[in-house]
Amino acid sequence: MFLVHLWNYIRGYVIIIAKGGGIERFINICTRRQILLWDIVRKDSDSVILKASLRGFMLMRPAARKSGCRIHILKKCGLPFILRRFRRRRGFKVGLIFFAALIVFFTSMIWEIEIQGCSNEVAEKIMKVLDEQDIRRGSFKMGLNPKRIAADILMHVEDIAWAGVQIQGVKMTISVQNITPRPEVVDENAYSNLVAERDGLITGIEVLAGALKVKEGDTVKKGQLLVSGKLEAQNPEFGTKYVHALGRIMARTWYDVRVPLDYEYTKRVRTGRTHENTYIRILNLRIGLFGNRNAFEDYDSVSYDKTVNGPFNLELPIGLTVEKQYEVTEKKVRLSPEEAEALALEKARLALNRELSPDCRVLDERVNILRSKTGETYLELILECEEDIAGQQPLGGD
Amino acid sequence: MKRIKKEPGKKKESGRGISGIGEKLAKLFELPPDLFGNRPKVTAVGRGEVLIENFKGIMDFDEGMVRINTNNGVIRITGSGITIKEITSEAIIIGGKISNIDYDA
Repeated sequence: MFLVHLWNYIRGYVIIIAKGGGIERFINICTRRQILLWDIVRKDSDSVILKASLRGFMLMRPAARKSGCRIHILKKCGLPFILRRFRRRRGFKVGLIFFAALIVFFTSMIWEIEIQGCSNEVAEKIMKVLDEQDIRRGSFKMGLNPKRIAADILMHVEDIAWAGVQIQGVKMTISVQNITPRPEVVDENAYSNLVAERDGLITGIEVLAGALKVKEGDTVKKGQLLVSGKLEAQNPEFGTKYVHALGRIMARTWYDVRVPLDYEYTKRVRTGRTHENTYIRILNLRIGLFGNRNAFEDYDSVSYDKTVNGPFNLELPIGLTVEKQYEVTEKKVRLSPEEAEALALEKARLALNRELSPDCRVLDERVNILRSKTGETYLELILECEEDIAGQQPLGGD
Repeated sequence: MKRIKKEPGKKKESGRGISGIGEKLAKLFELPPDLFGNRPKVTAVGRGEVLIENFKGIMDFDEGMVRINTNNGVIRITGSGITIKEITSEAIIIGGKISNIDYDA
């Protein structure tokens, strides 16, 4: 029934009052002429109220004349009458067309790109590939072929096994499957020695293949032979045999660094004065608002984005970027010896940590304060570590 | 006597005769009886709606009563707040609170 009402509303109908003696006759004539009437209600002894379609109303007049009824329209209902009101308004029509065009225009764009199933580094590479193909937020969906994009990503990005590209509405989803790294294969036919990679004191030995040339407690220099791949029989008649030396030689090693002690330190201090700049962001464009300036001579700035979220968790490519500037002054600070040492120690640790190999275990840490002949003071940091110092050295052809 | 009795009924009988054959045929082949002839079909749904198919026309209509002409005589529907919800050449739907459906009234 609802559908019938809706249909009538779309087609438009009129509410009519019919007056006169032969109302039943009038209704019968209308019926015979295939005019649909509905919601007929008796109003009083000589009038009824009824509804009829627009077409029906046009055909009704002869029937009314024949039956001696007078008919009047009480109300015009439905969409055609509403639209008629707008017939003269040009701007309305233009706006309607413009609106439809805007919807078509904006829905034919990519608004969001989502990359899932991979690390940030890989995602960055994928973004780069997309960038080269001019695929970004705001590019048109027409002419984009998901399979081709996926193939391009596979071609240009290593360490992925599979890439899938899906375009759903205005969102592009890229799913990536990472490759499992291939295990390192030891070629046992490539004969080699194990040599020391750094100076150290041997604390533990674990040889899988080869002839051991050192013993626990030995001090070794960098490059010294630890395990030989050349096996010589005790009886020279049996000759020699070559192997791929394998093993772990644990040794105590030392790392040291010297950092000059500095009693003066320039400190950047925020003065407490701040200034905020606001930008409107559309895609990658930043449009500065009126009144934006660099307020201070020397400042730190922190900026953050405010994004607008549309329906369906869609992140819209428009938003605000707020940049907050903090005024900063540089102050020379005189440090006490303890403070200076702490600062230098921190620097030294940072420098050494870069040198240490990842599987190295720090056993001991020593700090010395040294004074050079020229009068400068240094902080020396010595780390005592334990690590595997064995490194492969290929054996020559003999 | 016979002749006199037959004469006035002749017109009515002829119409009824055709539908009578249809009725018999429908019975013979076990078909639904409303397939043949133009006898009215009255469907009442609850108390608020009566659908009458195969009607000829309405004779009287006001708030308390509506009389509908059919091939089987006049059907009168009484009640309160009677309206004609829809009327086409095939069917009429009568709404309102219905209390009686009478034949030959």
